[in-house]
Amino acid sequence: MGALSLRDLTFRYPGANDAALQGLTLDIPRGGVFGLLGPNGAGKTTLISLIAGQLRGASGDMLLDGAPLAEARRRAPRSLGLVPQEHAFYPMLTCRENLRFFGGVQGLGAARLAERVAAASAFARLEPVLERRAGELSGGLKRRLNFAIGLLTEPQVLLLDEPTVGVDAQSRAFLLERIRALAAPDRIVVYTSHYMEEVQAICDRVAIIDHGRVLLAGPLAEVLQDSARSLALRLSAPLPAALAAQWRARFDLREDGTLRYELRLGAPADLVQALQAAQAAGCEPLSIAYGERDLEQLFMRLTDRSLRD
Amino acid sequence: MLRILTALWTKEWLALSRDVHGLAVLFLMPAAFIVIMSLALSDAFKEGARVTDFAVLGSPKLGERLAGEGFRAVPAPADERHAREQLRRGGIGLVVLVPAQYDGTGPVTVLADPALDALQLLAFRERLLGAALGIDLKRATNVSVEVIGSPRPARPSSVQQNVPAWLIFGMFFVVLPISALFIVERRDGTAARLRSQQVAFSLLLVGKIGPFFVINLLQTILMLAAGLTLVPWLGGEALSLPARWDLLAAVAACTSLAAIAWGLLVAVCARTLEQATVIGGVGNILAAALGGIMVPRFVMPATMQAVASLSPMAWALDGFHAVLLRQGSGSDIALPCAKLVALAAVLFAAAVWLQRRRG
Repeated sequence: MGALSLRDLTFRYPGANDAALQGLTLDIPRGGVFGLLGPNGAGKTTLISLIAGQLRGASGDMLLDGAPLAEARRRAPRSLGLVPQEHAFYPMLTCRENLRFFGGVQGLGAARLAERVAAASAFARLEPVLERRAGELSGGLKRRLNFAIGLLTEPQVLLLDEPTVGVDAQSRAFLLERIRALAAPDRIVVYTSHYMEEVQAICDRVAIIDHGRVLLAGPLAEVLQDSARSLALRLSAPLPAALAAQWRARFDLREDGTLRYELRLGAPADLVQALQAAQAAGCEPLSIAYGERDLEQLFMRLTDRSLRD
Repeated sequence: MLRILTALWTKEWLALSRDVHGLAVLFLMPAAFIVIMSLALSDAFKEGARVTDFAVLGSPKLGERLAGEGFRAVPAPADERHAREQLRRGGIGLVVLVPAQYDGTGPVTVLADPALDALQLLAFRERLLGAALGIDLKRATNVSVEVIGSPRPARPSSVQQNVPAWLIFGMFFVVLPISALFIVERRDGTAARLRSQQVAFSLLLVGKIGPFFVINLLQTILMLAAGLTLVPWLGGEALSLPARWDLLAAVAACTSLAAIAWGLLVAVCARTLEQATVIGGVGNILAAALGGIMVPRFVMPATMQAVASLSPMAWALDGFHAVLLRQGSGSDIALPCAKLVALAAVLFAAAVWLQRRRG
């Protein structure tokens, strides 16, 4: 059982035909960053909202260290921090005023509040803009303020709901580096994102959910380990028809029309043979992936590739 | 708890202090109305243009004869005690007490509202003595006049109608800044974030009451100051100050609670800023038109006066008039204040209930 244990969670929005969560069960341990993946409408934000206490009325159990989560939060109200998708702060207030407000409503005393505002703004590198109104900040700075607010109470459970949406590459890299730095042995960090490369870069464990159910969960390395020995190739030229027919019969060849091919090899020795055959046919391998699955491909395969919006 | 409330109050203050349009609605609009309406209607409030309600106890026929030329007969109160009560509340201007089996020679007592002008009182007395009674003037000399409450020499003027009226109007306009910030909080996810931080919804509402209560009291001080200084400076009459400031503060406080609770309910009901503006703004204008803010109740026909008494703004105006015009006591403001506080409690409970129902 994980530190945060979700057991058979079912939740339906009032008036909705389908349940947003359908008997979802998941264990989230302390330490590292836990990635929560799923297409739009999969139930990620619903799950985060239930854990954060924004939504109520789910059936099933949410346990923190074996005790009901609601009870644990009553005992330690500041133990959970949320960084929502929205810029959930006051645009007419300055960054400092926002930080002081959100620290204040969580009951931080004057000295502790000043200390935490300084620490959180330093962590998110907001010091140069502390006196600027939040509504005037760039997209990246708004994300960093949103992030800093979630860290004010040094929460033991930190929920990050797509915290890098709409920011430039530099801000994203900075935020990812900061989130990774938050991973601590005594902390639960749950991170949701649409960006597979982000999840692959910073998460230790992942769960892929869709239609309110967990499709796959486990340590990232295990999830990506390819027991089916598939070989993903990108070639410089299309495969000749004869070779393609031969690979189709022998390696269950799949192609997507963009010079990308996927083969299921029978034995490791097949790898060298396939590469040599491609080269002999004038198809130079431009990229090769073997032994580890690509998270995006795995995600697309598990979630059926269909559009959700 | 105090730390949380302090944070909530500070946030509301900061947000409001940066809302230029909200501040203009709360302070400039009522001040402008007070000045413009006090000056524009100064002639309309002169005695000739006024109609005074009176009732006769003990002789219905006398009531019919007395009506006319600025005096309107209204149904008589049940007895003298009720008559005095109505006069104290300003519900009626004059009551004639005719003894049983009156033969035209005994004493007739007139109970008068202290806000009534001396000339008007004299005119009524003459009317009572001569024309209306239709009796021999030599025999009917024994008419005594009793003014209920502390007599006040000044009559209610345009400024005394318009200052409390537009002050109340302005106080109820806290509905706009309250609902605007509330909707922004809901739209931007701030409210959800606060919920995740386990800040109780009722505490969020209380967090809005404090700052807007202070705003309403500031409005009261500034609008009274406008009536005292700005209106006479521009050529109008000056506002007369009340003897009991504590009662004035009590009426202002009760009006404020009702106005804020109305704002909270609109904030919870409205989904968008546009909806809040329409519900809050139009609601206020209707309540003002109905409640004697835009059109003084004493010029309304009796049926409209009865309808007007349903408006919370009319209750507030009754309270302010009891203090500012009639120099009333605690018992004179008790009913309007009780109505306003009861309304505030109902609206506040409705806001909490609706929010819980929506989850």
